[in-house]
Amino acid sequence: MTRLRRALYGIAEEAPAVDMAALVDQALAGRRRRRRVPAMMAAVAMAATVVATGTVMTAMRSSQPQEMAAPGITDLPEGNVGPLGYAYETPCKVDEKRRVDCGAAEWRVVTGAGETYRLPQALAMTAKDRRVPVAISRDGRKIAYYSRKDRAHVVRDLVSGSETTSPVTVKESRIGPGSTLVLSDDGRYVVFDPREGSKDPGLLIEVSTGKTVKVPGKYEAIGVRDGVVELVRYLKTDLWLMPVTGGGKPVRFDGAFMGFSELAPDGRTVAAFERRDEKKWIQELRTLVLLDVSTGRKLRNVPIQGLPEGRPVMFTGPWRSGSELTVVVDDEKGAHAYGVDIGTGKAHPLTDYPKALYLTLPGIVNE
Amino acid sequence: MDRHDGFREFVLARQQALTRTAYLLTGDAHLAEDLLQSTLVNVAKQWPRLSVDGNPEAYTRRALMNQYISWRRRLRREWPSASPPEHGVSHDEETLDRIVLRQVLARLTRKQRAVLVLRFWEDLTEAQTAEALGCSVGTVKSQTHRALARLRALAPELAGPHSLSTFQEVTP
Repeated sequence: MTRLRRALYGIAEEAPAVDMAALVDQALAGRRRRRRVPAMMAAVAMAATVVATGTVMTAMRSSQPQEMAAPGITDLPEGNVGPLGYAYETPCKVDEKRRVDCGAAEWRVVTGAGETYRLPQALAMTAKDRRVPVAISRDGRKIAYYSRKDRAHVVRDLVSGSETTSPVTVKESRIGPGSTLVLSDDGRYVVFDPREGSKDPGLLIEVSTGKTVKVPGKYEAIGVRDGVVELVRYLKTDLWLMPVTGGGKPVRFDGAFMGFSELAPDGRTVAAFERRDEKKWIQELRTLVLLDVSTGRKLRNVPIQGLPEGRPVMFTGPWRSGSELTVVVDDEKGAHAYGVDIGTGKAHPLTDYPKALYLTLPGIVNE
Repeated sequence: MDRHDGFREFVLARQQALTRTAYLLTGDAHLAEDLLQSTLVNVAKQWPRLSVDGNPEAYTRRALMNQYISWRRRLRREWPSASPPEHGVSHDEETLDRIVLRQVLARLTRKQRAVLVLRFWEDLTEAQTAEALGCSVGTVKSQTHRALARLRALAPELAGPHSLSTFQEVTP
């Protein structure tokens, strides 16, 4: 055996024990858990839920947001319902014999005032069982979704009640695994990526006119604002502020950065996390790096203070002002948004969100 | 008999191999479990067809690789784990090799890493590797070549004389 093979075998033997019976049950229920918790917490959670196979489903049901179990949830009415706080997708149904029905999965929206509505016109799962994302504008006022009836994307204004259906038809079969949807602040544009992380190109669509601009597959959209699409190519790492009419060119950063924020209000800065030392990944995910988008230079590091101990940041969210950025961490109870002062690094809690399998927050790209 | 029993039996019989492959691909216990879970969701959906006239083994391998390569490159999926597990205090040659190889694997592209795992851990042929990755044999050759070139550059000790026959076997 070569040293390479021997080393591979050695690493393989270090693979942790996985409760495969529990994974099988969850797979049959069509569920994916979000695991981004420190090892100790994960071990505790696992020990608590797999005491007996029969208890797994019960435990998972109880972890869904309260609204999911609430009876009498009505369809989103026409007219003004107010800005949205978030959206979530309901899980597949599992009966007492563990038969799974994913046809019942649907999107629901929760307004800032706390009202929950069904959004049956938004396709949640394709015929090939691919998840279909929705996107909420950063002010919560608009939501974009894919309509099976129209075979196109629709943007609904939750305040005026108006709906705009894109004239660009997109076959349902185009929606692949890891598809993403981005909605511009003003609701004029959506960026549809049929399969994030692949070479399959995305499409910037002007919803009212149907004008489109192709987005190279190796780039992923972070946001659309003020006529500019923010695109990131990971690993290298390149950031491309592409005008909605196309054009522009990317800037390359010196290093590997991930978790990009939208462009700051100053129009020159983005925040991200630098990936350098695998042994310090949690610390790195609690240290924002401010980057100059015109030169590609690293401006400074901002270690975040005041986040829950040991929790890495899961997402960066919208800028609340020129000096405060939203970050999101999660734990066993749900997701928690914090505002971070990029001058001092101090974080303060903003909003708590319930634990849900698929949660879409305003201004944050979701798959 | 529950209609899902076949799926359960299939997965449980291969749990060690699946877990190890996922771990080699991700290098992280949590990510490996995430990867397995996502893959099994896909396989479960196809099980009625696979169990009748499909090849569950090949489908599962391909689903695992597709899932791994297409994983979104965002925070919650991408961040590597902390240090490798410690196994005692003595750092003999084999232990060092494992530590070094972990670092090399982390610096490969996903496709290169997948090719190395399939060719040298699962011992698949180039044709089988191409099938698992859904690409051509030529792509497998070129990806293997690049992965091994990277390995030579970063860890020449792992690309020592004993490994040369392996390199020559797969280099176009």
